[in-house]
Amino acid sequence: MIDFVGKRKIFFIISIALVAVTLLGSLFLGLNLDIQYKGGTMLTYSYTGDINKDDFLSKVQEVVGGSAAIQESSDLATGSTNLVVSLASTSGLSADKQVELTDALSQTFAANNIHTESISNVNASIGREFFLKSLVAVLFAAIVMVVYIGFRFKRISGWSAGVMAVIALVHDIIAVVAVFVFFRLSVDANFMAVVLTILGYSINDTIVIYDRIRENRRIYGQKLPVGELVNKSINQSMKRAIVTTVTTVMALVVIAVVTLIFNVTPIVTFVFPLIIGLLSGTYSSVCLVPCMWVMWQEYRAKKAQQTDAKKK
Amino acid sequence: MKKVGKPVFFVVFVLILLLTLTAFLGVSTTFGDIPTTWIKGAQDIRWGIDVRGGVDATFSPPDGYDATDEEMAAAEQIIKVRMVSQNITDYEIYTDYDKDRIIVRFPWKEDETDFNPEDAIAELGATARLTFREGYETDASGLPSGVTADTIILEGKDVEEAAPAMTNTNEIVVSLKLTSEGAEKFAEATTRLSSQSPKGIISIWMDDVMISYPRVNDAILNGEASISGGFDAAGAKELADKINAGALPFALQTTNFSTISPTLGVGARDAMVLAGFIAFIAICVLMIILYRLPGIVACIALMGQAAGTIAAITGYLPSISSFTLTLPGIAGIILSIGVGVDANVITYERIREELRLGRGIDAAIDAGYKRAFTAIFDGNITVVFVAVILMGAFGPPASIFAMMLKPVFGIFGSSTTGAIYSFGYTLLVGIILNFLMGVTASRLMLKSLSKFKPLRKAWLYGGEKK
Repeated sequence: MIDFVGKRKIFFIISIALVAVTLLGSLFLGLNLDIQYKGGTMLTYSYTGDINKDDFLSKVQEVVGGSAAIQESSDLATGSTNLVVSLASTSGLSADKQVELTDALSQTFAANNIHTESISNVNASIGREFFLKSLVAVLFAAIVMVVYIGFRFKRISGWSAGVMAVIALVHDIIAVVAVFVFFRLSVDANFMAVVLTILGYSINDTIVIYDRIRENRRIYGQKLPVGELVNKSINQSMKRAIVTTVTTVMALVVIAVVTLIFNVTPIVTFVFPLIIGLLSGTYSSVCLVPCMWVMWQEYRAKKAQQTDAKKK
Repeated sequence: MKKVGKPVFFVVFVLILLLTLTAFLGVSTTFGDIPTTWIKGAQDIRWGIDVRGGVDATFSPPDGYDATDEEMAAAEQIIKVRMVSQNITDYEIYTDYDKDRIIVRFPWKEDETDFNPEDAIAELGATARLTFREGYETDASGLPSGVTADTIILEGKDVEEAAPAMTNTNEIVVSLKLTSEGAEKFAEATTRLSSQSPKGIISIWMDDVMISYPRVNDAILNGEASISGGFDAAGAKELADKINAGALPFALQTTNFSTISPTLGVGARDAMVLAGFIAFIAICVLMIILYRLPGIVACIALMGQAAGTIAAITGYLPSISSFTLTLPGIAGIILSIGVGVDANVITYERIREELRLGRGIDAAIDAGYKRAFTAIFDGNITVVFVAVILMGAFGPPASIFAMMLKPVFGIFGSSTTGAIYSFGYTLLVGIILNFLMGVTASRLMLKSLSKFKPLRKAWLYGGEKK
């Protein structure tokens, strides 16, 4: 039997370090927020032959009437090189202006066979609204979970269990954020999907452990010390946690590898953070949550003793 | 659970196999030249524009203009008519009356080569040109020709209001109210046309699309006409909205649109299907190695869960419309399969524990499912909460969950991301199927199999080898 509760300091240090590094990282490197959230315009053009990027950029700025930046990106699927133009303005380009721009570009660079590959044009206020709405959705889900766990796990003081589970969720979401920060991935709808998936996965993991603690509490009653009770429960359900995680991660790795072979990048940038999030979810459910819960229970017991002592 | 007989396994297995085959391959027949789809297969999945490319645009009236609900309904009709006239039928449109926004999403058509999305978006939002023309002569491509092209009786600005109405004889009609200038022109034309034999026709056009062509029965002198023609309430409202669109005092604007070229297209889809297939095989191999007989049962149950999810996305029957599957939607499927695997793992680990405690096979299976159920139930229900909240927050404004959660998300406008709605949907469906397949069907199959004599060895269920 592994003594998880005895090693809790190590777990806390690892997790605090992860959170600290991520916070520092996002402070210094910044989150690569997609225009889906912050608003703005990004236009991807494909072309043939050679093209003078500076001329291209100045033509764009002339038509749009604002500053813009240009970047080359190679399209792995087709093997061609694209020009990605981002406009500084975040208010979104109007459709008429957009048509004017493309017409002007294809006239000026007639020899290069300019073609619009994709347009991503988001009005800043709509982007902000979407971001806020996502946050509210996650917060609301967290509240609902605390309430549900509070009721279903009354036997093991459900409210504290619910709060600990949500702390673990925050921890896992931070792990996902870390991937996006340090690998410079763009925070877009994929990010939302990953966060939501981890939310569901991690809570499920945590509940399986709680369920075992609840059951053991019923079997062994209040006599068994909290630390031992939790250790026993973790060890009993650990194999399940490992098997499920290994199976899911393996399936994801297969998907990542196959799609990588076929050059489907959107799937890879989606699966990779998902794998990290899943690992973090398992870690937090097995190591972090039960230990935090034990600490809270011991703290409460100590406090109850003190007040008892005062009464006497 | 009471007695489960030996044949139960075969019944459940055949049902799941049938579901899997039909849900993935579909059933269609070709009689003569007319293909009929009886059951929709995986090839009928409607992929979101983030997968197959397409256009996503949010239209709104010009800044500072507070449009009425009638005006927004009229604007929605303009876009619908134009979609159809551009031959785009596979579109989604949502109108948010609180925030005055119309969200339109449409994917590329198969084998689309020279479609210009930028022009399409600009055209969708342009002011609608409504005309009442004499006769209904059209050329081969449906454009007005002859006298219909030459004689414009009324224009959008001549119409004050159109609305559905009910006559004394309980017939639903569209009533028209014209401006004084319009009334004069209309009086002249209707006098002339109603005296013709047979009586003349006035056709009503939006841009280059004919939306109605009523016959002129009487001269209308006071500028108040009604169009009859066996309308139902919805039909009358639709025509009234379209006519009102011509009188709309603004052009729709969009500063929020995106287009994705279909480069990802078919290759990516095939890659994803292949990836999913290989991943599934890998899961099966692992399950069977780890859990032996229950592992095989788990694979059948998971197959049923995957097939059920596909069926829920395509709609299965041709009369049920399909659901759009986006990248986050695929994530929802992965998560629900993961949770499905977990349900099986929890149960089989429990059965193994019970066996090692010295219980017999039947008792161990019963105890295993019973003990595992609370964990599976609580875990899955919390995931259902997440799914429902997401569907409420990011679904179409009129859906049940959106109505339910209006107190929470009411301050926000309808979202432009159907992508996350798709996640919530596949997740919800997956979890429900997990209860059906991973819990119920798997228990039926395993209990039935355990009745066969050659299969009554504890080792097959993870017990010690004797």
